[in-house]
Amino acid sequence: MAEALTIRTRSGFGLATITARKGVAAGAIGQALGLVAPAGPVWTAAEGVMLLGTGPGVWLAHAETVSPFWGDGLRQRLAGLAAVSDQSGACVVLRLSGAGARIALRRGASIDLDPAAFRPDAVVVTAIAHIGVTFWQVDAVPTYDIAVPRSFIGSFHHWLDVTAAAIRLPVPASGEA
Amino acid sequence: MSRLAEGGLIDRTKPLRFSFDGRHYTGFAGDTLASALIANGIRLVGRSFKYHRPRGILSAGSEEPNALVTLRKGDRAEPDSRATTIELFDGLAATSQNRWPSLDFDMMAVNQIAAPLFVAGFYYKTFMWPAKFWEKLYEPLIRRAAGLGALSTLPDPDSYDREHGFCDLLVIGGGPAGLAAALTAGRAGARVILVDEDRIFGGRLLGERYEVDGVAGVDWTNAAVAELASLANVRLLLRTTVFGIYDGREYGAIERVADHLPQPAPGQPRQRFWKIIARRAILASGAIERPLVFGGNDRPGVMLASAVSTYVNRYAAAPGRRAVVFTASDSGWTTAADLMTADIQVAAVIDSRPDGGVSASRLPHDVETFSGAVVVDAHGAPLRGVDIRAADGRIRRIEADLLAMAGGWTPAIGLGANLGSRPVWSESIQGFLIDVAPPGLQPAGAAAGTFSLGAALADGVAKAVSALADLGFAVSAPGRYEASDEPSGVTPLWHVGGSRTKAFVDFQHDVTDTDIALAAREGFVSIEHLKRYTTLGMATDQGKTSQLNGHALLAAATGKSIAEAGTVLSRPPYGPVAIGAFAGHHRGAGFRPERRTPAHDWAASQGASFIEAGLWKRARWFARPGERDWQETVNREVTTTRGTAGICDVSTLGKIEIEGPDAALLLDRLYINTISTLPVGRVRYGVMLREDGLVMDDGTVTRLAEDRFFLTTTTANAATVMQHIDHARQVIWPELDVQAVSVSEQWASFSVAGPEARRLAQRLLPDFDLANSAFPFMAAVETVWQTLPARLFRVSYSGELAYEIAVRADHGEVLARALHTVGQEFGATLYGIEALGVMRIEKGHPGGGELNGQTTAADLGMGRMMSRKKDFIGQVMAARPGLTAPDRPCLVGLRPVDPRQRLCAGAHLLPGGAAAVAANDQGHVTSAAFSPTLGHSIALALLAHGAERHGERIVVHDPVRGPDIEAEICSPVFVDPEGIRVHG
Repeated sequence: MAEALTIRTRSGFGLATITARKGVAAGAIGQALGLVAPAGPVWTAAEGVMLLGTGPGVWLAHAETVSPFWGDGLRQRLAGLAAVSDQSGACVVLRLSGAGARIALRRGASIDLDPAAFRPDAVVVTAIAHIGVTFWQVDAVPTYDIAVPRSFIGSFHHWLDVTAAAIRLPVPASGEA
Repeated sequence: MSRLAEGGLIDRTKPLRFSFDGRHYTGFAGDTLASALIANGIRLVGRSFKYHRPRGILSAGSEEPNALVTLRKGDRAEPDSRATTIELFDGLAATSQNRWPSLDFDMMAVNQIAAPLFVAGFYYKTFMWPAKFWEKLYEPLIRRAAGLGALSTLPDPDSYDREHGFCDLLVIGGGPAGLAAALTAGRAGARVILVDEDRIFGGRLLGERYEVDGVAGVDWTNAAVAELASLANVRLLLRTTVFGIYDGREYGAIERVADHLPQPAPGQPRQRFWKIIARRAILASGAIERPLVFGGNDRPGVMLASAVSTYVNRYAAAPGRRAVVFTASDSGWTTAADLMTADIQVAAVIDSRPDGGVSASRLPHDVETFSGAVVVDAHGAPLRGVDIRAADGRIRRIEADLLAMAGGWTPAIGLGANLGSRPVWSESIQGFLIDVAPPGLQPAGAAAGTFSLGAALADGVAKAVSALADLGFAVSAPGRYEASDEPSGVTPLWHVGGSRTKAFVDFQHDVTDTDIALAAREGFVSIEHLKRYTTLGMATDQGKTSQLNGHALLAAATGKSIAEAGTVLSRPPYGPVAIGAFAGHHRGAGFRPERRTPAHDWAASQGASFIEAGLWKRARWFARPGERDWQETVNREVTTTRGTAGICDVSTLGKIEIEGPDAALLLDRLYINTISTLPVGRVRYGVMLREDGLVMDDGTVTRLAEDRFFLTTTTANAATVMQHIDHARQVIWPELDVQAVSVSEQWASFSVAGPEARRLAQRLLPDFDLANSAFPFMAAVETVWQTLPARLFRVSYSGELAYEIAVRADHGEVLARALHTVGQEFGATLYGIEALGVMRIEKGHPGGGELNGQTTAADLGMGRMMSRKKDFIGQVMAARPGLTAPDRPCLVGLRPVDPRQRLCAGAHLLPGGAAAVAANDQGHVTSAAFSPTLGHSIALALLAHGAERHGERIVVHDPVRGPDIEAEICSPVFVDPEGIRVHG
């Protein structure tokens, strides 16, 4: 049978880049936001804010529903600790879910998404179809959110359409389409 | 029909119709095209590359050099497909190639008569005179006469997919050694990927009659595969060829997803390109049987002995009725036994080894056997008989329509040399073996020179245990497999002397024994030179059946041992890979990703034509009904903007936020001018140099707060500038407390320019005071538009009173619509980058033509911007004598003396009366446009001593597009040089 794959475009979310000031540890930034800031490529969440580790001293803050001035609020909370740039409009965030979601992302990105290697709190900054993307696993279904630079979304959908078509094909029980 | 009455791994309940050269035949599910042709008695399948000799089927695998056909028709036609690897499907249509008018009667076979002319390297020696004939006559003729199939010139209708695999152990080859290795690793819990190019696993077990653990090899295979399929940690990939090994333990593979189907299902890719990252790998790719080199060894009906066994055992197809087996190895005798089991007459077994007769005991006594004998010539096409030379030297002819030749086995280790390690000669197996394997890889089974079945199974287990131990997996009780250790002795026979007809070494490239001898005589004694001079092993089969014979012949010709002569390195791909599989969906419009601005679709609805600017699609102009051409449209856009107002999407500009206590300090070091003195709420134009002192980019810097800046870059250099900034803050001055992030995607920006710009913008921001006194030229503010954060900048590229307004990108289209709606009340126009370009040329602003990586700030008239009070990147190198030479071309304006004439970018500048030679060249036109404001063509140019030559006349020499034009040198600022409008 075909592998399940649902794709949904998310809206209303907040997204912001947080870059630690020189010498400011992750702990201080996490404390200001009321969570433990991840020190590696994983995410943590609390109080409606998800903090995704995207590089040394760099995080992507993500929130489900925010006001247009969410970024300014974040900057105030992190004043003196980190630089904050609102990126809420910069990316289209797609939610891919179902067994086919893992296959789709694995076909796009050279990242080991096996549950043993890519856990439900994992984050990755990589490229799919020559487009720089950030994606993270949301749950063990598996469900992934993927942030795609807005200007590239047409080309990204081109890749996703072709890839999803193959995944949704009925296939023999022994393999994946 | 040559189909055996019973046996074989074919499904006789599923007949499949197919055609070859227009004639219709029937095969069965499980057949290859080759086995189906054999089962239908077809023996002549193709014509050879150079001599157009009739060729049949040599092998039963991917090493096939002869049976190349064009598979399918029209846009799916695939030339040079190996009949031995094509799975039969209903409706399959194949045609022979490289023949005219027909396969049976090929006029080009006349080449055989001219064979003395076509020896190795003939194209280096013949057709030399007259030289001009080479390109127009000789080469086209040779190319037409020599060749393989013709490519379809139609677009490929199929799609190609991509996949990534990660595993602890990659097993390349699903024969006995590979299956044993995969079982061992799979049972231990390791993540395993097992790859095989066939449609089913089993390798040699499918074509032989040996038993494993007391059951038929095929049954043992089925049980092993069933167990592997039940393990969640094992991935089985059939119809997949690992074609290359790369750094970082990366393996490239091609999965033929739908090649076995008449055509892919809708949405189904034809093939899938795999990149596999494997911590460890086992190369269980088996071995390839070698042909023997004797006269007529390429005739249809002469086959590899292992292929004969495979056709008989696996496909129940009889390649002949009366066979002769010519062998230098024990495996040839197995083929003789297989033939007899299938009731095919074996006329004789000829073993070149003096003691070869010891194996005769394996056959019934009524089969004639010869030891120390050879086949010297084969006759007939298809084969009718062979001449043998017995041990006593006597020649005897034996009638036969099938000759099975067994020259011994060459480990299939091509992949092992992909990273540059040359294989080494093994006396014990009389073949080359991997010396230094790619990191993490071990050969196993026949690929490691372990030829007998029992030993290969044990080797597969042992190599897996070794790999697993490296990875920390415990193997409590490794499997033990009982199998016959059949004789696998061989005494290679590299060449049969005394043949009267051509003896081929490389079948596909028509390289003969005499070609190799000739190459050696002519001094091509290095194995790499031999390969290139004779083209041995350079055909689509990469010499899988020919390399070793060729190298042995070269060694003999040069008096070296084979070990001394050495062998060549195998490079990827191991087999031909369709270029479409590498491209995937990146072709046509999807060749590379495309970037669209947030208002792209809306702009399209407003009549925008788009042009590529890097990856971006930018609106070029907005044509209106009734406009005759683009020039009329652009003229209107410029005139309306300068007369009233214009709206332009500038979202593609690079945008970077710089933050931190040391942000201003870093910016002082990045820009030639001082940024730290910029007040909050103000914008400054800035120029960056590269380390070598040349201009890198220009743009604006806005101070949003004491420690927070917003930079713009040109569209083209957005990524380069971001890299430059990160390099500066992370590598050059890591001590600075400064952060930088690209926000290019976050903001949609629109320029509103023209005399009515203020009123237009004011309508959008009614509560914000846009008066000059409150918001002067080069002011900026973070504000709110319709409850959204917005940024407003009083900057101008057009030279008009202008504002740039930016909102979050996801609201960009809403802003564009709002601007347009308000703009219509003022008679404003939308304008594209063509009008933008005209207006910046009219204002003398440098653009792409001037920021060309060869100009200094001084060249562009911005030498005074370079601060002497601070250090900045490029400062020292900008002071080099070459970059400060007084005769460097610098920015000037040009206008044609005759206003009807048009200047073109790229034209060269010559003094009047000077000859049009490079020595007289004084510069070139960098940008040109028709100025609707002035009513004539204008241009920017870089001209030696340009600043001192305003008013002088010069010749604009444009040999490509038109006659010389006389132009007057002038200031590069054509419109509003006092800057009154911009401050309006």
